[in-house]
Amino acid sequence: MNAPNDKIVRRYDDIEEEDNHLPNWWLFILFSTIVFMFGYWFVYHTLKLLPSPPVEYANEIDALKKARNAANPMSDDALASLAKDPAIVAEGKQVFASTCASCHGPEAAGLVGPNLTDNYWLHGANPTDIAKSMTDGYPEKGMPSWGPILGAEKVRKVTAFILSIRNTNVAGGKAPQGDPVN
Amino acid sequence: MSSPAPILSSMKVDGSRNYIIPADVHGRWIRLRRLGFVALIGFYVLAPFIPMGGHPMVQLDVAGRRFFLFGQTFNAQDFWMVLLLLLTFAFGLLLVTAWRGRVWCGWGCPQTVFLEGVYRPIERFFEGPREKRLRQANEPWTGERVLRRVAKLTAFLLVSMVIAHTATAIFVSPRELWLMIAEGPGTHLEAFSLTTGFTAILMFNFTWFREQFCVVLCPYGRLQSVLHDRDSVTVAYAEKRGEPRGKAHKTLETGAPKVGDCVDCRKCVNVCPTGIDIRNGLQMECLACNQCIDACDEVMVKLNRPTGLVGFASQTELSGGARRVVRPRLMVYGALMLLSAGTLGVSLVNRTPFEANVFRQHGTNPFVVDGEVVRNAFEVHVTNKNPAEARFSLALTAPVSGAEISVGTPTIELKSLTDAHVPVMVSIPTSSLSMTPVELTLTVKDETNGSQRVIPVRFMAPPMHH
Repeated sequence: MNAPNDKIVRRYDDIEEEDNHLPNWWLFILFSTIVFMFGYWFVYHTLKLLPSPPVEYANEIDALKKARNAANPMSDDALASLAKDPAIVAEGKQVFASTCASCHGPEAAGLVGPNLTDNYWLHGANPTDIAKSMTDGYPEKGMPSWGPILGAEKVRKVTAFILSIRNTNVAGGKAPQGDPVN
Repeated sequence: MSSPAPILSSMKVDGSRNYIIPADVHGRWIRLRRLGFVALIGFYVLAPFIPMGGHPMVQLDVAGRRFFLFGQTFNAQDFWMVLLLLLTFAFGLLLVTAWRGRVWCGWGCPQTVFLEGVYRPIERFFEGPREKRLRQANEPWTGERVLRRVAKLTAFLLVSMVIAHTATAIFVSPRELWLMIAEGPGTHLEAFSLTTGFTAILMFNFTWFREQFCVVLCPYGRLQSVLHDRDSVTVAYAEKRGEPRGKAHKTLETGAPKVGDCVDCRKCVNVCPTGIDIRNGLQMECLACNQCIDACDEVMVKLNRPTGLVGFASQTELSGGARRVVRPRLMVYGALMLLSAGTLGVSLVNRTPFEANVFRQHGTNPFVVDGEVVRNAFEVHVTNKNPAEARFSLALTAPVSGAEISVGTPTIELKSLTDAHVPVMVSIPTSSLSMTPVELTLTVKDETNGSQRVIPVRFMAPPMHH
């Protein structure tokens, strides 16, 4: 059984190392990856025939952002026209009730936060101003930035709701704050 | 160690493949193993189709981060439990290897279960037994042989497709899989590519690669020399009883030299799925399939000799010692496995069917001083992990007088595996803030089943001077 083996190349602590042939399929994989490496190198880095994965990723993210912006226009006119859509306003009201009512009151007539049913505004009364106040917040005054939590779509809906109740002057509301708007 | 086989029994000296064709085997171990194969394959194929608690018994919706297991619903937040599951499995594998060798390979590994339980029987059915196939290897191809080969590969392809589609069904649920098939590969290119790719891998693996995976590729297989010790019980040839090998002479009558019980029929070598000769002693390639035991026992019974010439023994036993089962290594592995399994069990029992976490509201200052009051804004994140819609109530209490607490939505209804952020505003008059910070208590209760969580919340305020 223990015939001397001339293939033994190293012996240490009774562990013998032989220099045997590797399985051919194993070598095939090794050489294939080397060939593949050259192909990949030329296609992606030398000739740039195809976009490299980071570029492809950046392109996809850009396309996604463009599509989102196109679906959620943030112009004064677009927001004002949303305020005339009762379905959107109703959805905005629902988000308002669960998210904003704890500070601005269930009727939006103001509690800790200002009254939203009068015609006085602290940070601008344009539809885009209102959306911006909501998205970025005024942390020093206690208004959180809701953009990251609600997302652009819900911000638009809540803006539509607020535009629809503006200047309705709900009874028992908080005293006006800010500048009057004509 | 040098053995008569060149390098590997499944490889020639020049590195080319020596394709193993094991002979048929009969006996108690192969019968038992086949029962195991049926149970395991049955579970794999049926698990996605058996409904339990409104969902498949096993569905791993990775894209939706929803995991349905035996009627329980898990989400990504439960993923930490996978660690305990893997530790239980890993320590279990260490334990069983140190105790009984590669039994996982011979009995539980999908590579063996599908190869010996499905593909090899199909091959045997279409192309005949080992003897016929070895004879044909040196003969020219005939029409019948081509036809048999095509039939075998067709059957392999069908089986591979079933296995691959079952795998897809585990991830997307059978109903979804059916809709995907109906809508065609064009609309579900990703799922189609993955399923087709998996089918191709199965075909390559079970048609050609086979035991190469176990003896060259599998990392667990390569680790055997550190997982075994001299007391591990493995499939072993009783050399003292078997040697010297020789024909089954009627020793006493002929007066020929006494020979051992091994008649050198090579049946144990012929049935081996990795092509090794168990009589060379413990080898890394042995998958503990026990087929050589069955083959040898059959011969011993015919010769009216006791069975078990190839049986189970540890290295210590083979050199004349006693079998040692109770030893520190097994105790430590066993204890670690039980610890992992126990922790997993306790975690599962104590799991609440919802998650509730409190954050300071995104983008606000820690506190706002507004005249005579200090305000903190919090946000409670609630996730419903029930399999159905549930109603949650949120209540916050403050241990000081004059606190004004306003919870955005004191009760919320959430569908299964949906979440909500509930804003909470707390105002406390500066006159009550002699000690800061103030510890508030939030109680979130699942009204549908009464389970609740009590979470401490810290109210922050500037240092007060009274």
